[in-house]
Amino acid sequence: MSALQIKHLFGLQGVSKQDIRTILDNAKQFREILERPIKKVPSLRGLTVVNLFFENSTRTRTSFELAEKRLSADTVNFTSSNSSVKKGETLVDTLRNIESMKIDIVVVRHKGTGVPKFLAEHSNAIIVNAGDGAHEHPTQALLDMLTIEEKLGTLEGKNVTIIGDIRHSRVARSNLWGMSTMGAHVTLCGPSTLVPRNTDLMSHVTWEPDVKKAVANADAIIALRLQKERMDDALLPSMREYRNTFGITEDLLECAKDKVIIMHPGPINRGVELDSDIADGEHSVILDQVTNGVAVRMAVLFLLAGGRNENS
Amino acid sequence: MKTRKPSYEHYANVVLKNAKFWNGKSFELRDEVRLTGSSSNNDSLEYDCNGALVLPALFALGVDFMEPLRDDVYTYVDGVDALRRGGFYGALYESAANPIDDVDKLTAAENRRPCDLNEGPGGTAYNIRFLGAYSKGFGTDSLAEMMELAPGVVGFGDGNAAIPHSRFLRLAMEYGKMTGKRFFFQPMDKTLRHSGCVHEGAYSDMLGMKGIPRIAETIAAYTVLETARFLQVPVHFKQVTCGETLDLIRNARKQGMDVTCDVGLYHLLLDDSCLETLDSAYHILPPIRSAGDREALWKGIEDGTVNAISMNHTPVLRQDKVVNFEDSVPGALSLEIALPAIWKKLSERVGDARAIELLSTAPARLANAVRGENHAAAVVVLAADKPHVVVESDFAGHVCNSPLLGKELPSSILATYINGVWTNLS
Repeated sequence: MSALQIKHLFGLQGVSKQDIRTILDNAKQFREILERPIKKVPSLRGLTVVNLFFENSTRTRTSFELAEKRLSADTVNFTSSNSSVKKGETLVDTLRNIESMKIDIVVVRHKGTGVPKFLAEHSNAIIVNAGDGAHEHPTQALLDMLTIEEKLGTLEGKNVTIIGDIRHSRVARSNLWGMSTMGAHVTLCGPSTLVPRNTDLMSHVTWEPDVKKAVANADAIIALRLQKERMDDALLPSMREYRNTFGITEDLLECAKDKVIIMHPGPINRGVELDSDIADGEHSVILDQVTNGVAVRMAVLFLLAGGRNENS
Repeated sequence: MKTRKPSYEHYANVVLKNAKFWNGKSFELRDEVRLTGSSSNNDSLEYDCNGALVLPALFALGVDFMEPLRDDVYTYVDGVDALRRGGFYGALYESAANPIDDVDKLTAAENRRPCDLNEGPGGTAYNIRFLGAYSKGFGTDSLAEMMELAPGVVGFGDGNAAIPHSRFLRLAMEYGKMTGKRFFFQPMDKTLRHSGCVHEGAYSDMLGMKGIPRIAETIAAYTVLETARFLQVPVHFKQVTCGETLDLIRNARKQGMDVTCDVGLYHLLLDDSCLETLDSAYHILPPIRSAGDREALWKGIEDGTVNAISMNHTPVLRQDKVVNFEDSVPGALSLEIALPAIWKKLSERVGDARAIELLSTAPARLANAVRGENHAAAVVVLAADKPHVVVESDFAGHVCNSPLLGKELPSSILATYINGVWTNLS
């Protein structure tokens, strides 16, 4: 059924260059549609998509819902806070109950690594990962890639630096697989308590502890959100020290290329990982990422569902 | 999926034909071996082994049948069935569901031990030995009644609970020293484990899963060793997972300390590359570590540092495994498949005699359960070169949580003869 080699989107590790290319090319077409006065296409008319969110999410869920509506799918939102999960229902039972309502596509976010794959093993629906634990967040990485291609022309040969809490970041993991597949060179930088300790299986990326060196050759810098829980867990001493050491500031950008673009998956902690004047400044493409998020999610849903409708 | 149901028959005598019989030093091909069991049924059986090995039955360390936590799912009877199918004549039992921390609980546990399969009350009891708890309820700061427990238990341990804080550890060992018994620990520092559920290594970092570092084990082991050295108490480390811990044990022995250890079956068979499957069947604690760690354990087996191979047999409800990895309950069954899974590799690396010692005599010695010459026969018939694909019905009870389910094992158990019961699995 899928117009891609993959049947589900669990993550970008192992996804072929051809599939990523197809998604990005389709997303560019959907991006154009989003600029039209009438932004809706009938590609998924008759299909039902459930957004199965076991973790809080505003941006990603809204982006998926908008993408589904733009494709004319029927959408259902499920959050664990208002569901039987609170009454002890198992993950499989939740899925099977929802599936019994003849759902075609499940978009899932969960705190556990591998939940999308687990659900695919127990369901006939198409599964799209909207974030599983610290494992992967593939559509965020795809929208990051789309934004870089849009702004810099290509990913091939570009230097992308990701700064922040790499260890707990599903965005970083998806980006390091996806961008490497597409020919970009990825550099990761963060405090030693927030980067992976064992990088043998991620040797295709560069680890740079010095933030100034990490940004020096970057064509794009992605700042990751720093969660306040990290301070409680003694992984960092203070927001203040983090900002002074790893925050993206005007001073740090003095070390970077003139035309570097600044990205962030949102929501931003202004004055922590990113200063306000940078977030709102000329280098920032953060709002373009948000728009591209809808286009990328439209492309993923459309292609996994078969990509057959000629109206698109 | 194929099914395989064993049959159970009582025989006072069994005649094994064409068998390679273990004579205490090597396997010797014999036309006929006569075995005498302990059955009240006087019937005899003749069985053609077709050249299969006949080993002395095994002894299992690290066994928990979870009864009475969910006795609708797994019971002592199921556990004894698993022991019989796997060729084990006895086990050292530690109940996480019902820690034995006073004499009443010891008596209750002894009474729950079922009489042998198909026998009524008064039949031969399976050789199940118990560890007493050193704290009330496992992992608390209150001492268990060790002096009263001592005559009925092998030693003291708090199951697979992390080691306690240093003061309580000292007090428990200081008090328990009066009993002269050995203390059993699974070395794990709970603060370093944090919320980890897999080995902290390349795979956990690649997958974004919370890891348990090796130092969670080595620091705990060092703390225990220093306390034991100070108090002169014998200790046993259960399910050691890395070479660094074995180094600590080697050094302690050089200083004259009485330290023993075992390694788990699955830690010798698997490495953390299995995490890539994200299959909850591989969720086992202590965690399956890297290929390098696994090789260090094999070296420890070869050089004699490791005393025994333990089973860590833990039934887990199906619904507790049919979830994503991190939310699943850790544990795996092992008794039914341990011997066919490990025999070939083990005998190739250390020879037949040492292999039998690691699986039978050494674990029994640790549990004070060595069989004398006057005991009834207890053997397992193993076709070492006959592969077997593990199916659900290989396992006793209503559970089948094993990472080897669906995998091909290099060998097959054809039959076992324990306590006068012939279990035919061929």
